[in-house]
Amino acid sequence: MTSVLGRYSRILLCFARNGLVRELSFRVNFLVTVVSEILWLGMMLVFVQVIFRFTRQIDGWSNHEYLFLLGTHFLISSIFEAFFFDNLQRISAQIRTGDLDFVLLKPANTQFLLSLERISYTAIANIPLGVILCVYSFSKLDVPLTFQHVSMFLILVCSGVMTLYSLMFMFSATSVWLIRQTSASHFWFYLTSCSKYPAEIYKPMVRGVLWFALTFVFPVLIVANLPANVMVRVFEPYLVAYALFIAVGLLLFSSFVFNWAMRKYRSASS
Amino acid sequence: MRKYWQVFRISLADRFVYRTDFLIGTFLRFAPIVTTIALWRAVYAGAGREEIGDLHYGEMVSYYLIVMISRAFGSMPGLASTLASDIRDGNLRKFIVQPLNYVIYHLHLRMAHKSVYFVMAALPYALVFYWCRSFLPGWPAGELWPLCILSLVLSFFLGFMINMAIGLLSFWFMEVTSFMFIFMVSQYFLSGHQFPLTLLPDWLERSVTLLPFAYETFFPVMMLMGKMNAAEAGQVIAGQCLWIAILSGVVAFGWRRGLRRYAAFGG
Repeated sequence: MTSVLGRYSRILLCFARNGLVRELSFRVNFLVTVVSEILWLGMMLVFVQVIFRFTRQIDGWSNHEYLFLLGTHFLISSIFEAFFFDNLQRISAQIRTGDLDFVLLKPANTQFLLSLERISYTAIANIPLGVILCVYSFSKLDVPLTFQHVSMFLILVCSGVMTLYSLMFMFSATSVWLIRQTSASHFWFYLTSCSKYPAEIYKPMVRGVLWFALTFVFPVLIVANLPANVMVRVFEPYLVAYALFIAVGLLLFSSFVFNWAMRKYRSASS
Repeated sequence: MRKYWQVFRISLADRFVYRTDFLIGTFLRFAPIVTTIALWRAVYAGAGREEIGDLHYGEMVSYYLIVMISRAFGSMPGLASTLASDIRDGNLRKFIVQPLNYVIYHLHLRMAHKSVYFVMAALPYALVFYWCRSFLPGWPAGELWPLCILSLVLSFFLGFMINMAIGLLSFWFMEVTSFMFIFMVSQYFLSGHQFPLTLLPDWLERSVTLLPFAYETFFPVMMLMGKMNAAEAGQVIAGQCLWIAILSGVVAFGWRRGLRRYAAFGG
């Protein structure tokens, strides 16, 4: 058991080193990408402030509460992008071109290799941006800061990342059936454009069916909403249990879907 | 002219290959509209007022729907990055030796893409607009019709020229993909894609609408929503033509200067 763990952490370390070498050979690119992420966040903040010029709350979320939600969203999606996004985005091309053969042949878990091969240091650099926004908006709110809150928040952030990862991984695995599907980056854009707002706004749509579906069936709404709720609005221990249950369940399910898809995989080219 | 017609035809056939993928993609493209409807309902309820930035709730939702139409004309996915990679990898060589103008070649490619897009997207668009009909402000007034269509066609040319100009930067900078992201983000906001520019404070709205981006999306959409009279619409058309002329000049100039620097890498 320990040797397995040791082996995988050595592989991970190797991936991390390779990524760093790659990143250091394009230093200007790194800088420009960080700047563009700051710009993106800045533009989102402008949009939020534009909305709050006209209203004091969005379905019960005040300006600073919503900024905290946005910070949480940015934090979670940056962690996801740092470790998984580039990798999951490449899977559909690997399936189409048959490059997946080389990954399947390696003596290590395929899902592990596919999911973590490239680490994006640029996205890691974005994580502090999310933290800063969270800390700033939290300081503007009059809510208690306790060890319990912070630890629950961190657990929920992790489970949010796991949930996103599982959804995106399943999406990529479906490329086996749908060659050249809508690209993963588009799917990611739709996912995040849906999940960065308060979950409550979906409740009046289609008599609550949409909210129910996005919370329980295709659970994108819990990703950022739950941690933000726990930290600055209501503290409900059962929500933490629920989020963990979803994250672990989805992770197992994604692995099942992937293995199922692999049975249908027929290589390409020669 | 025959050769460009061939380019158009080949590209047309190429586009029809991935039909299922296309239909799913088009419906997915409307997914954010659901969020828009939900979000603005909450904002209008919270604000407790009828109008925000001169738009009432139905108009706000329509704005985002009509933006989709305007983007269908003006968006040029991958144009700037294709140009960038052609320049960087030395692929451009292939085109320079042919009796073919690279810019005009791409213009035809894009016209073919758009033609296919309109044919195939017509059904999904019609369905979505039908479902959302309660929000829509109704058809534009009769005399504005030609101006509306003209303005959409002009957004196609404007979008093409803006993206070409950005792509040409590759002659001078090796790695422009990250600049492109900055450019895309700015365009997303400055063109009025993220929210109607009327929501901005007046001074900001005035400065942002001085840029070409607003002529790509914001102004044509306001025209289609019937928020303009014929005179204002005419001004928008004139503004679009002016920007297309300026940017075509920039592209032609940049192309000539760029070719002189071009080293044709690769073997």
